Amino acid sequence: MSIDAKQVAGEPASVSAGFPVTVGWTHAAIAIYSALKLNTAVNLKMHIEMHSPLLIDLGHHAFSWSTPLEIFPVDAVHTGLETEPASSDGAPYFELPGNDLDGLLWEMGINSFGGARAYWLPPDERYKLTRWPNLTQHSHTMRQTQMIAVLGNTYASTSELAALAGVDESEAQRLINALSLMRILARSAAAPAAPVVTQTAAAKRQSLFGRLRKRLGR
Amino acid sequence: MAEHVILFTGPMGAGKTTAIRSLSEIEVVSTEANNSERHVVDKATTTVALDYGEILIDGQEKVRLYGIPGQKRFDFMWAILKERAKGMVLLVNSDAPDPIAEMLTFIDEFRELYDRGGVVVGISRADVVAGPTLANFSDALERTNPDLVIPVFTVDPRNRDQMQNVLLALIANIEMRAMFGLMKTTSSV
Amino acid sequence: MSPGLHTKPAVVKAAAGLLAEMKDVASSLTYAALLTDDGFDVARLPGQTDGARFAGMASSMQALGDAVTHELKIGSSEYIIIASGKGYVVQLRVPGQELVLSALFDNDATIGSALAIARSYAQKMADLIK
Repeated sequence: MSIDAKQVAGEPASVSAGFPVTVGWTHAAIAIYSALKLNTAVNLKMHIEMHSPLLIDLGHHAFSWSTPLEIFPVDAVHTGLETEPASSDGAPYFELPGNDLDGLLWEMGINSFGGARAYWLPPDERYKLTRWPNLTQHSHTMRQTQMIAVLGNTYASTSELAALAGVDESEAQRLINALSLMRILARSAAAPAAPVVTQTAAAKRQSLFGRLRKRLGR
Repeated sequence: MAEHVILFTGPMGAGKTTAIRSLSEIEVVSTEANNSERHVVDKATTTVALDYGEILIDGQEKVRLYGIPGQKRFDFMWAILKERAKGMVLLVNSDAPDPIAEMLTFIDEFRELYDRGGVVVGISRADVVAGPTLANFSDALERTNPDLVIPVFTVDPRNRDQMQNVLLALIANIEMRAMFGLMKTTSSV
Repeated sequence: MSPGLHTKPAVVKAAAGLLAEMKDVASSLTYAALLTDDGFDVARLPGQTDGARFAGMASSMQALGDAVTHELKIGSSEYIIIASGKGYVVQLRVPGQELVLSALFDNDATIGSALAIARSYAQKMADLIK
């Protein structure tokens, strides 16, 4: 499925009549991915049942929402999406600096597509980080830390990543989706296979990461 | 006993002593003197030899946390302390006069720790001042060290949870680099 | 908040004068320095040497000495001695000041005499700038 960016970059400001009522974040992720790809300063307003509107200022890479990300509603019911071009006089969409958009993209990416490959990612590619996510600001698991460390050092496919970190493929895919939405992932169809070293139980015991993590109760 | 030495580096006032206090399970050994450069960094005391803290993993294994004095005039201590270290947490306060240049100076100075282990950069006081953004720091690192993918995080050195995340990210990165044979000398952490 | 003692001309002058006098009294003295607790050079003898690096080292050593006495719960550190085949380094804090005197004596001095001289001049320095 390909997404036509024009769907979300409506002009002038308009309620996107065609936006379906959806549960979860897949449509929202697609809309943001398309808007980010256009690389223009556009504002988005997402209407979500039981929550105040989620405001996104792509030009300033910021968002404003009364719901804190610590209680990110995974099953949010989206009832509408409005887009509007950023004001030409530079007037802020909401009080800046707002919140770093990466925090929202992280949660959105992890919690969309039901653990399947994001629609914008072609099959049979390998991935490598161009930049680490700001982990101190994103709620994350230690398995995600390990997967990120893999991607920081080698190209890996989703299945290689899953094997290297000892996680399910869907868990690896969720991370790939998030990092891709955050635009900090390089993709290559030509990169050689990652050297998958199967993590035996003995190897896991030998890992300082594993022992320290356990020691710190994390 | 297996020991793993992690070095905390960065300029005066970045929060190295505080970070080690957040992480250490023992009372931290500190060597502080009254700071006579309060026009440079306005804090009462400054580390002049080292800070030392520990996390005991079990009876046989420790993570040793050493902090350096940040000022260049103590660089003889840098040479002593980096000898045994396998990884570095580089802290930079974003309210320093030129925090990006400070970061690059310490990356150069301690480059061998990247080569034989790993490095994580922590930007402190990022929420306090309108200094450079995290992306500015990452851009500068990519421009000067295009081959390295060094993690850059915002940190509050007083926050134990954040500092544990930083330490674990560093160790995960060091172990992956060892596994993929990316270090100049290959040994585990 | 007061600037460091190394920035006060009167202190620097007093320190240089004191070290010169110390050398006159003790011919076995081959190097001496006064420095701030946080490692800034105030004065040194011979005066033409670059004291910055040694000042940093001496202050680190002083602080490590304090850390050791704290760790072992034996009060505060009074002096530090490093003995080598070619002489002794005697180092101690100027009483009541954020200043350290570090002095190198050759083997013509005994540890006892070196320590006595260093102590006496640390006290003199304290009297001069109080």
